[in-house]
Amino acid sequence: MAAAIGAAGQSEWEVAVPEKPLKDKTYFENLKAKVIDTNLCSRCLTCAAICPGGITVVGNKVDFPDYETKCLDCGACVRVCPRFVYEPKSGLGDYIEFIAGRSKRFAGQDGAMVTELLVSAIEMGMIDRGLFAGRDEKWATEMFHVREPEQLAITTLGGTKYTFADVLPELKKAVMFTKRGVGIVGTPCIVSGVRKLQQEYPIFRERVKLVVGLFCTENFHYDDITKFLQEKGVDFSKLVKTDIIKGKFISTMTDGKVKFKVAEAEDIIASGCNVCTDFTAVESDASVGSVGSEKGFSTVAVREENAKKVIEYIKEKGYADFGEADTSQLDFLIGHKKKREENIKRD
Amino acid sequence: MKMKSMKKVVGPEYNLSEKIKTNVYAVGVAMQESVYPHTMTVFYPRERKKMPDNYRGFILFDPDKCISCFNCSFVCPANAIRMKEAPSRRYYPTVDYGRCIFCHFCIDSCSGGALKATKIHDVAYKDMDEMFTPTEEMIELPEIIREDKKYVEYEIEEDDLHLKRTKGEDYLFVEVPPPIQIPMVSQCIDRASCIGCRVCEEMCESGAISSSAENGMLRMKIDTDKCTGCGLCVKECSMQILMLKLKKFE
Amino acid sequence: MVNTLMETVMSNQVSIPLIEPMLDLLPEIPVLQYMVAFMLWKPLFAVLICPGLTVGGITLLFFPWIERKLCGRAQWRVGPHEIVWWLGGVIQLLADTLRFLFQEVIVHKDAHRPYFLQFPFLSFMIFLLPLLFIPAGTIVAIQTPYAIQIILALVCLFPLFILGLGWASNSRFAYIGTVREAFMYFAYEIPFIIAAIAMIILYGTSDPLLMASRQSIPGIILNPVAALVFFIGAAMATSRMPFEIAESDQELCAGPHVEYSGIAFGLIYVLCYEKAYILSALMTILFLGGGSGPAIAGLGDLSGAFWFVVKTYLVLTTLFMLRAVYPRYRLDQGLKLGWSPMLVMALIGLAISLVVVAVRVI
Repeated sequence: MAAAIGAAGQSEWEVAVPEKPLKDKTYFENLKAKVIDTNLCSRCLTCAAICPGGITVVGNKVDFPDYETKCLDCGACVRVCPRFVYEPKSGLGDYIEFIAGRSKRFAGQDGAMVTELLVSAIEMGMIDRGLFAGRDEKWATEMFHVREPEQLAITTLGGTKYTFADVLPELKKAVMFTKRGVGIVGTPCIVSGVRKLQQEYPIFRERVKLVVGLFCTENFHYDDITKFLQEKGVDFSKLVKTDIIKGKFISTMTDGKVKFKVAEAEDIIASGCNVCTDFTAVESDASVGSVGSEKGFSTVAVREENAKKVIEYIKEKGYADFGEADTSQLDFLIGHKKKREENIKRD
Repeated sequence: MKMKSMKKVVGPEYNLSEKIKTNVYAVGVAMQESVYPHTMTVFYPRERKKMPDNYRGFILFDPDKCISCFNCSFVCPANAIRMKEAPSRRYYPTVDYGRCIFCHFCIDSCSGGALKATKIHDVAYKDMDEMFTPTEEMIELPEIIREDKKYVEYEIEEDDLHLKRTKGEDYLFVEVPPPIQIPMVSQCIDRASCIGCRVCEEMCESGAISSSAENGMLRMKIDTDKCTGCGLCVKECSMQILMLKLKKFE
Repeated sequence: MVNTLMETVMSNQVSIPLIEPMLDLLPEIPVLQYMVAFMLWKPLFAVLICPGLTVGGITLLFFPWIERKLCGRAQWRVGPHEIVWWLGGVIQLLADTLRFLFQEVIVHKDAHRPYFLQFPFLSFMIFLLPLLFIPAGTIVAIQTPYAIQIILALVCLFPLFILGLGWASNSRFAYIGTVREAFMYFAYEIPFIIAAIAMIILYGTSDPLLMASRQSIPGIILNPVAALVFFIGAAMATSRMPFEIAESDQELCAGPHVEYSGIAFGLIYVLCYEKAYILSALMTILFLGGGSGPAIAGLGDLSGAFWFVVKTYLVLTTLFMLRAVYPRYRLDQGLKLGWSPMLVMALIGLAISLVVVAVRVI
């Protein structure tokens, strides 16, 4: 590990400094002007992960309090932001295998294949920790480092949370700690943030070993979605599961369900999602979602060799059942998201 | 119900001649001691007990040798050492003698050999606040009014123990050869992962790390001659790509 | 009337050859001549100077210091040292007295206030009474043929005042200490008196001046058993180790003395040493020939007094040195000692003195 990075040590090195569109302002101000204030920002928090100064989330927006005095003007945020020079990805993407899977040992949103992939990678020794988003009783997200399968007895670690989780700042911390490698799961914006980090800095190439993407149409801010759901009559103390199936948002409680059309929540969709065209997370190592397979199964699009090795391990050990998945079922949503390209203002 | 008979505990029996002999001997010893006493007490402060050279006492400090590595503060088991910023923007240790346990771990761990040991064991304070010794007071020996004209050593022989008094003053400060210093310098072990934040340059107390920007490239340089190996840049690097390595001499 | 007074005074003068030349000059100064005559009148001299208040006072000032120093030396330490350290802390008692004078005398709520405050002074008075009868050489206040009996009777009164001190204190520790003192009183009284009686029989008189003249061989050699019994009895009576049972410091804080502070405690503190002084004086008379010794030219009557004081101090020193040597007896052990070995030895001493009398007479 250390030898690969270059343990010899050097006294001189160069850093490629990115171009500044606004020459008389700091790099953060550039980022703010180009990405955040134009509502391109997807809140992936890649900038917050790499920033040595203090980029963080203020309210629902990414911001840097006191940036006038605290911004070191290093340019790292601009280098890693996937939307600073935005090349939107769309479509089904390349894949080796397109299958449906249902984990025999975990329970998740559908077939719990995300959990199964990451845990199997830990067991294989490919990674030593996986970053999961858990939630508390109020359905606010918190990040967990999972090192052993036993930790998944906390069932709130699995399952979709229809709100933002701060994966990338946690990834940066994990990369500093890890010895073997880190595996993450995230929405397409998070995946594109990780790929930009890996493109810019070798340390992320070396240490992030498995990136699982999720099928994603849009995401909601925590305050907005909880307020909306409460107005619709959802009691969070009894809430068990949330689903979006065939355009309907279904909240399952211990004593009933609340259903409404997703289109009703159009106004509270996070602003960065309105310009996102990637439904299937085309840059990930494997993409997982519910569309394209029958109930109880998760669709898995295996894209890279490392994910293929994990699927083979799972098949060998018999940890999951596999079945057929239908790509045609994704067409509608892929098209739905591609239409958002029109929202991107080009200057 | 039959009761078990209890045994009576009796003391040891001596016969009369033994008793008389021991009594007479005891009184004889007392009389002998009254005439020729083997007094063991030391008349402090007019005499001082001669402490061995390794005695762990008051701690002295030499700022010229300090590299602000914070080792003493980290290793102190009683949290007695706090580092305080000096006007020169370097950090120097201050010792709180209310907490210090005189283990001298700080002296053992000092990289530059700046902390030194003395044999002084009797510094007195009037209140607890005085015990917090700032760096200025650690540079010289504390003010001592030396009333002692003699120093006392114990001479222990097989069946005899007595004091030996020698005229003169016992020295309080022991010269110790400086520790073997392994020179280490900071080096970057993953140059491509540097984000160019220049936190290391800001942290460096000795100005060993410098940067220059030209043509859209930021050049970072570590001057190994100026680097003292304190390790602050290693700690503060946001990507953790700096490491202390053995200094190479050409 | 003044003439008869002057006659009695002039007839009973202490003669000190050294100061005779000075006295010859005196008739020229009228008042001083009378004052000096009064001072040198034997009873007054005995009471005021020797063996009375002055010598007693000097003993009280220096003997605690000597005791502490000796015990310190035997215990490999120094004893009082810091007050006037280049003299060895010799005025330690003066410092103690000064401190006692300035300390507050606390009378606690439960104490019996009149007795609490009066007993220290009362006991001091009683303790000083035997000094009237003890001769130093030829200087004596009251010369009677029954002196020893009177002294013994007064000595038997001593414990009552200690009991009074403890009773007036009205506290638990004082109570325990007082009860122990009462028990010890039972233990030592009878062997002590029998030993004294043995010596009276030996000498055939109880007039101390005659006793001194009959001791060509000192009593301690004539009747060592009685001497030992008397010595141990004196140790018990004055609460010296190994019989410091009533005022054991580690167990009871100070027994009957525990509730006192200030000058009351100061007086009680020296009471103990006063008692020891008197008993040692008695022992000197009975066993060591009290006052006999080679005459020192020029001192006249005072030479007897000088030897008396020297011998008393010797006995006192031995008594005090035992403190460093012995641990403390338990109360029942002390009682047993008083009644089994000491009584037997006292009776043996009595028998020995009878035998010696018979041998000498025959």
